[in-house]
Amino acid sequence: MKNVLTVAANTFREAVRDRVLYNLVVFALLMIAAAIFVGQISIGIEQSIIVSLGLTAISVIGLFIAVFIGVGLVSKEMDKRTLYALLAKPVERWQFLLGKFFGLVLTLAVNTAAMGIGLFLALWVVKHPLEKADLYVFVAVYLILLKLALIVALALLFSCFTTQFLAILFTAMLYVAGVFATGLRTMQGVNLAPSTTAMLHGISYVLPNFENFNVMAAVAHGGGVPGSMVFYATVYAVAYGAIVLATAAMVFSRRDLK
Amino acid sequence: MNRRALGELALGIVLALGLAGVWKLQQKIDGQQRAMHLDRDDLALRSGNVVKGLSLEYVPLMGAIYWTRVVQYFGAKHRMHDQNLELLWPLLDITTTLDPHLLVAYRFGAIFLSDAPPRGAGQPDLAVRLLERGLKVNPDYWRFYQDLGDIYYFDKKDYAKASEAFRKGSSYPGAPIWMKVMAAKIAEEGESLETSYFLWKQVYDTATDPEIKKNADTHLKLVSAQMAMREIDRLAAEYEVRTGRHASHLSELVQAGLLKRIPLDPEGYPYVLGQDRKAELSVDSPLMEQQQLLDKKMAP
Repeated sequence: MKNVLTVAANTFREAVRDRVLYNLVVFALLMIAAAIFVGQISIGIEQSIIVSLGLTAISVIGLFIAVFIGVGLVSKEMDKRTLYALLAKPVERWQFLLGKFFGLVLTLAVNTAAMGIGLFLALWVVKHPLEKADLYVFVAVYLILLKLALIVALALLFSCFTTQFLAILFTAMLYVAGVFATGLRTMQGVNLAPSTTAMLHGISYVLPNFENFNVMAAVAHGGGVPGSMVFYATVYAVAYGAIVLATAAMVFSRRDLK
Repeated sequence: MNRRALGELALGIVLALGLAGVWKLQQKIDGQQRAMHLDRDDLALRSGNVVKGLSLEYVPLMGAIYWTRVVQYFGAKHRMHDQNLELLWPLLDITTTLDPHLLVAYRFGAIFLSDAPPRGAGQPDLAVRLLERGLKVNPDYWRFYQDLGDIYYFDKKDYAKASEAFRKGSSYPGAPIWMKVMAAKIAEEGESLETSYFLWKQVYDTATDPEIKKNADTHLKLVSAQMAMREIDRLAAEYEVRTGRHASHLSELVQAGLLKRIPLDPEGYPYVLGQDRKAELSVDSPLMEQQQLLDKKMAP
């Protein structure tokens, strides 16, 4: 466990050194601009646009970090040859992988938490006094973080056996497919063969279902999120993430690093 | 200043001039396009479901963006006095498909659609369709019935349906009692100035958008004027009974003690008696133009 934590702390430090958190400035500017201008160019959607724009920005910025840095976590260490020095020490490959995962997830957690607070402040500017339901913004941010953690796991998995470019492509494709996972199950109005329907049904359960983490619409309209939903989404992320990371560790442990 | 600094300064000036040139060029192109009447009214994607699919999980933001597009489209057309609002319905359709819970899009969208030109698109049927769609997804939102009642009453002149909408809305918990009263009053009397005044007052009191508030205010002033003119007509009839002759000027009613002074319309202009000896707005009154617009709207 100590090895995992050491690698994670180093990964976090490296991300900070690489100025990954600079995106917070972009986010802050976006929120300030939205808070100032939205009321002037639209009617009656100050709250919903601040929340949906803020959550979208948190998600998209996080998505870019998760995919582009996630696929580079392993390959960068290999390119710089630091991986060999590290693995020469008493560090297992799976520990290295897990450390990298937690390091980037910690970076994303700090990033999303800061943006979440920024979003809440922007919401306070356009709508005060705030209501209790507005606190659900933080629930939405938490669920976005779970989604991003799952994407980091997928990016890590792909980066263990393919090139950076292909790993980005595969992660992005799986993300898009995962957004439509529920849609595959409920596809209507198309004359599909029963076998195809069964196959799509099966695929829809195997794909990572990113809709599980999407409560943007409810929160944007001041609605609540049931605690049970948050619990199940958390369990889903942990379980699916564990499967992906275990697979990644298996692939990485068999990889010929010479 | 050394040569390098001079070179950089020259480059900076060239870049600034270049940008100014691009600015000018764009203005020229804009002017040319305006002259050629290149109408940019187009929607690349008219299917809400396609836009929804392309929006991935960011559908609520897209809904808000499309709603802003509706507001901007309607506002720009209004500003340019362009009555071609053919994209209003497709834009509202996409907006409410993307975000079926964006209540404001149904309410204001219905107003934009139902109001007669030049204020709106003059399509009350589509406004009804939009609100009925909103009710399907948001069945607990009683204000949609208020909006439906208003459209049936003011725009479609279907008093039975207006009464029915107010009655349905009044049955919701939290709905104001006046909706029940309106349902009964409209069912009994159809259109009346008092009912119109009350309904416009509700719109005025609840509207948050300045344009809609202004529109309601204009209607309130017009209805007030109509009520005042109705009273003047009654007094003129009384004058005729008393004196056996028609009054040709309101000062005669004042001299007869039927009026304390010549009454003023809500904009502060005195009412006049027309050739048909009925009370009218002064031609100088800003309400006259509004009244003419309204009369045009009422014309078959």
